[in-house]
Amino acid sequence: MSKLKHSLGRVLAIALAGNLISAAASAETVKIGINVPMTGFAAADGMSALTGAKLAVKQANSAGGINGDKIELIIYDDQASPKESAPIAAKMTTQDKVSVGISGSYSGATRAAASVFQSNGTPYISAFAVHPGITQAGDYVFRTSFVGIVQGRAGAKLVGKTLGKKNAVVITLKNDFGKSLAAGFKEAASKFGVNIINEYEYSIKDRQFGPIVSKVKADKPDVIYASGYFFTAGPLVSQLRAAGISVPIIGQEGYDSEKFIKIAGKASEGVIITTSLDRDSSVPETRNFISAFKEMAGVSPDMVAASGHTAVKVAVAAMKIAGTTDHKAIRDAIANLKLKASTGNISFNSLGEVKKDVQVQVVRDGAWHHYSVISDPDLLAPPTK
Amino acid sequence: MLFFELTVQGLVQGSIYALIAVGLTLVYGLLRVLHVAHAGLFTLGGYIGVIVTNATGSLLLATLTAMVTVGFLGIIIYRLCYHPILDKPPFVALIASIGLFIAMEEIFRLMFGPYGLSYDAPPLMETVSIAGMNLKYAEVVVMAGTATLIGGLAFLAEKTRLGAAWRATVTDPEMAGSFGIDIIRVRYLNFFIGSALAAAAGVLVALLNNLVEPTMGSVASYKALAIIVLGGLGDVRGTLIASLVLGIIESFGTIYLGAILDRDAIAFAFLILVLMVRPRGMFAKA
Repeated sequence: MSKLKHSLGRVLAIALAGNLISAAASAETVKIGINVPMTGFAAADGMSALTGAKLAVKQANSAGGINGDKIELIIYDDQASPKESAPIAAKMTTQDKVSVGISGSYSGATRAAASVFQSNGTPYISAFAVHPGITQAGDYVFRTSFVGIVQGRAGAKLVGKTLGKKNAVVITLKNDFGKSLAAGFKEAASKFGVNIINEYEYSIKDRQFGPIVSKVKADKPDVIYASGYFFTAGPLVSQLRAAGISVPIIGQEGYDSEKFIKIAGKASEGVIITTSLDRDSSVPETRNFISAFKEMAGVSPDMVAASGHTAVKVAVAAMKIAGTTDHKAIRDAIANLKLKASTGNISFNSLGEVKKDVQVQVVRDGAWHHYSVISDPDLLAPPTK
Repeated sequence: MLFFELTVQGLVQGSIYALIAVGLTLVYGLLRVLHVAHAGLFTLGGYIGVIVTNATGSLLLATLTAMVTVGFLGIIIYRLCYHPILDKPPFVALIASIGLFIAMEEIFRLMFGPYGLSYDAPPLMETVSIAGMNLKYAEVVVMAGTATLIGGLAFLAEKTRLGAAWRATVTDPEMAGSFGIDIIRVRYLNFFIGSALAAAAGVLVALLNNLVEPTMGSVASYKALAIIVLGGLGDVRGTLIASLVLGIIESFGTIYLGAILDRDAIAFAFLILVLMVRPRGMFAKA
């Protein structure tokens, strides 16, 4: 009998100790989940976003974590596909029980995941996906980058007011990113006296733009507003210039990579873009981010990397303020946050959309440089519903 | 003027399609296998072209290296992937090929990184003005190179003993075998030539875009299938014409139908239209 008691006691003791250990372990780490495309066509942006996010986690942990607790980044490959991201979001919210989720992915995947995070009441921050539907999923979903429409409006102001150009040709990447940029540009164009003389669309798979280039040449525009990512914009800009078209080309944050300059070579000189990262910034947050990223990754950061970094930084700051892992408290902290980050001074409107200035960069001597800043709260007001 | 420019742009694109699709139709003609992984060899050609050019500064050396290396890899793929399953139903080889293609894309990503590679000093970027139209030397080289390579292929097939053995094997493998032709060697030759042409296309596309990405072959993988169907499966001359026609149709379609259909949709709408009228391809004899 006493023997049995003894062994029972032992079992109990072990069980208790086990509990204690796991309790201690869970008190020591706070989980942030991130879905990024690590394979497939969007793997390049996924790599940048993830490196930016890892840097933010590393910096936060070496600065004492979240009120003493270490942050653990739980990483999933979503291949930029909604059919991957939705189950990943379910796993992050129900099994991993992350405190905050981050999207380092494109719009389709982010939208699918956002509704899962919303229905599980877990805060979710989209780092650089542009579709307006993302934040419409509900009050637990935030975005630290511009919606496409806002950036498109900024582009119209840049063309009409800053550059004083009248006749624009619009070349649009036929996905949610390009289409929402074009919508914003066209909406604001007339306000800045810009007349759109023609519009062309291309698919994300296109790298050869010969026909469009020939037609644009015949259109004789003063300026070209072309949306795209570095892997489409690089070939496009180089083909426009090779055809002898020398008018200004205006791009957006999708161009924002050293790789664009590498692909387009000399043709990239003078290309102007609207983006979130100012390479020549004197703001310490941005300076520190650029140098820390170079040190960690061995390459210069792009807009996507800065956005991944910013999104994690927002999550960390909100969790510090909330002082708990309670999802509601963290959500409220994000909603009321005011934070200096590598992509500017971040705060959110009632829909969870970011309010910040638009950075304008130009390629000069083979590198991105400061051109101007568009600071116009009315023009840049993100949608509220 | 615009008409002329769009036609030339279509021919540039069509030349690329031709280089890729000819290899595919050769394989289909010989083995009745839809060799999807061919597009992966096209991508690999691009990578080798960029890497060797950046290391040595010679585009010609890079093109030859890419063609020979990828040619031998084509033989290896045949030997390891298709040869053991030729007696299975055709879809088995097709599925193996699709799997191989996806694996190749991810291997390229792991080996060469997700951002893609570019020429450090892209060659042939100077432009030449022909009748008021600016063409890059690279575009001229694409058209001339395609004509040379495919002309060489035609010479090989029509004028040499090797070509005769090859044609005999395509027409009737059993009969050819009983006349003493080594069928396996013909297959090796077939894969070598088809893969080398795809590699040349890869180097040229890398030059036009100044970019090689792991997924560069994804459009080529299905576009080339559409082309060989248009050209009449296994018909080299038909494939060649179908490539150029499709290039030109896409070129005009991008401008005049671009708001409704994108480039791929135009290509496939054309494919469907042709198949409705001529179910066995554009040039099939009734």
